[in-house]
Amino acid sequence: MRAPPGTLRDWRFWLLGTALLALVAALFLPRLTLTREARDLLVVIDVTGSMNVRDYEVDGAPTARLAVAKRAARDLLAALPCQSRLGLGIFTERRSFLLFEPAEVCENYAAIDGALEGLDWRMAWEGDSHVARGVHAALAIAASLPADLVFLTDGQEAPPLAGGALPAFEGEPGKVAGVIVGVGSPNPSPIPKFDADGRETGFYAEQDVPQEDRSGPPPADAPSRAGWNPRNAPWGGEAATGTEHLSTLREGHLGNLAAQTGLGFAVLRDAGALVAVVDTNTRVRPVALRVDIAAIPAALALLCLTLLFTAGALVGRRPERLPA
Amino acid sequence: MNAAAGMAASLTRDWGVDQPLLLLLLALALLPWAATPFVRRGIASIRLVPDDVLSRLLGLGLRLAGSIAIAAIALGLAGLHQREQAITRQGTGAHLVLLLDRSSSMDNSFADRAPSGDQEAKSVVAKRLLVDFIGRRPRDRIGVAAFSTSPMPILPLTDHHDVVRAAINAIDRPGLAFTDVGRGLALALDSFADDANESSRAILLVSDGAALIDRRVQEALRDAVIRTPVHLYWLFLRSRGSKGIFDTPPPGEDTPQANPERHLHLFLQSLGVPYQAFEATSPQAVERAIAEIDRQETRPIAYVERVPRRDFAHTAFAVAAVAIAVLLAAKLGERALTRVTPHGQAGGGQANGGQAGAGRTGATPVRRAA
Repeated sequence: MRAPPGTLRDWRFWLLGTALLALVAALFLPRLTLTREARDLLVVIDVTGSMNVRDYEVDGAPTARLAVAKRAARDLLAALPCQSRLGLGIFTERRSFLLFEPAEVCENYAAIDGALEGLDWRMAWEGDSHVARGVHAALAIAASLPADLVFLTDGQEAPPLAGGALPAFEGEPGKVAGVIVGVGSPNPSPIPKFDADGRETGFYAEQDVPQEDRSGPPPADAPSRAGWNPRNAPWGGEAATGTEHLSTLREGHLGNLAAQTGLGFAVLRDAGALVAVVDTNTRVRPVALRVDIAAIPAALALLCLTLLFTAGALVGRRPERLPA
Repeated sequence: MNAAAGMAASLTRDWGVDQPLLLLLLALALLPWAATPFVRRGIASIRLVPDDVLSRLLGLGLRLAGSIAIAAIALGLAGLHQREQAITRQGTGAHLVLLLDRSSSMDNSFADRAPSGDQEAKSVVAKRLLVDFIGRRPRDRIGVAAFSTSPMPILPLTDHHDVVRAAINAIDRPGLAFTDVGRGLALALDSFADDANESSRAILLVSDGAALIDRRVQEALRDAVIRTPVHLYWLFLRSRGSKGIFDTPPPGEDTPQANPERHLHLFLQSLGVPYQAFEATSPQAVERAIAEIDRQETRPIAYVERVPRRDFAHTAFAVAAVAIAVLLAAKLGERALTRVTPHGQAGGGQANGGQAGAGRTGATPVRRAA
């Protein structure tokens, strides 16, 4: 049907036509492919005894380091974009123990969140805490997955490192990206003590914990110690004293460990800070994301219709003159 | 009033929008009732166009088309979608907790040597067959727990099997020293604490050994199975040279210390819940045992099937396009009352301009056009 020329000169017609064209465009426009920054992470959380130290304050109540670390990891899980993957491990003794390999975070959110919530110091199988060896083990696991490592620990070695030297790292520094996150405060705090049934029975005293690692060769300064005897008392004649029963965040030790392994290092001031730390220290895996951009032409169509009817309402109030 | 509230509630339960604020644009749908896309023309006398039902209906229809077009675009922009639905259906399956032994002996082959060549480690066999097993059981809710020196909850009961597979994939990593089955079982029973489904709970214990269960833990376990009745399956991966669970040793040697596996078997039998033990000495035997468990654990359960979210933005835009096409067709059918002069359109009459809308003026051609 041929439109009368009057119609073609009418702006209302052109507005309607534009609206229709825009909608047709909205329906047939291909989806835009954008890239999004997903991450593959292996979160390893220290569950040793020193993580029970309550030196954080959340809502005015003293809160254990482990609780803050769990909260931080759950916030991280919630903040990761879809198609990111997160696996979980725990550290105690001298090993990192993989609970599950990285799994997609959106689809499996409830299960991973439940797993993080279920972490408990009772899962620890030994009292020792060789943090440096734990980080080395975690790096080996992360390299085999592959994933970037997020290692949450307070850095307290139990027993303390012999001579203060880090154990040798056999891997290649920097091969696995990631970050060591220091959990705890720099002020010394007592470590809660639990009995065999898991009831809290007080705090560790000075002689309850090894103050010195007395396995291996004695340190160089041993002959100067009181009561030293090369055969009967190679570490000196007195029990070691120290402050190992009071736990602090060992920033210096963790910093050295991070430098040795090529990881980043950051201190967790509060649970929410982990997301930013992970953003700056782990690698991005770009994933394609199909974005529907139909809304743009559709909005144009809506604008046309709005203009049409608004202007129509304003103009139409003045009837045209009668024919002469 | 209650009915209306109920309807609104069911509507928001099933349907949603991504950008609720954009729903304010729906107010624009009132505009077509204030104006039309047609040129308003005066006519000399109202008698020229007698009132008729068809024209009224057409006028109404065209205003409605305008409203629908605007409302549909607004809904589409706001991201109208049908929410993800969880439909409960009846099927067969089970609520299953996999209780996995992560002790270091699982890293050896069935011949109790370091795996080499064609001999797989027990943990690798268990991993491969368990992944197959859950692949065949899409409707199960599965939780994972592990035990070694200490019990470890790994995953709560979940419908999403990807993460279960990720947890099973982790079992061939180097394990820990000991085998604390008792506390592991207590933990697995505990996983059912929040589970309302009573009829089809099962625990599948996969281990290659056992240890003494502390008497206090034994009592706790007896209490726990009374509170949470479960079906127990023990898949015992027996290495060469280790004692079997079904052999009766000579009298005098039948102590829990000497035969922890056999005494765990006796203990589990004494719990008073359905229990079955499978002794597997080779990967093939493990496969048969798992097939048997697969066959037995098919009781009716209510399972949740997820219907993914459906987007209706494109449907809304299509509806709007149709409505605008109707308006456009009507517009193309619009005719002036007078012949068009070179100066442009001739005006209409003064009277009744407000009511005799363009819809009525263009009524007849519109019918043809539409």
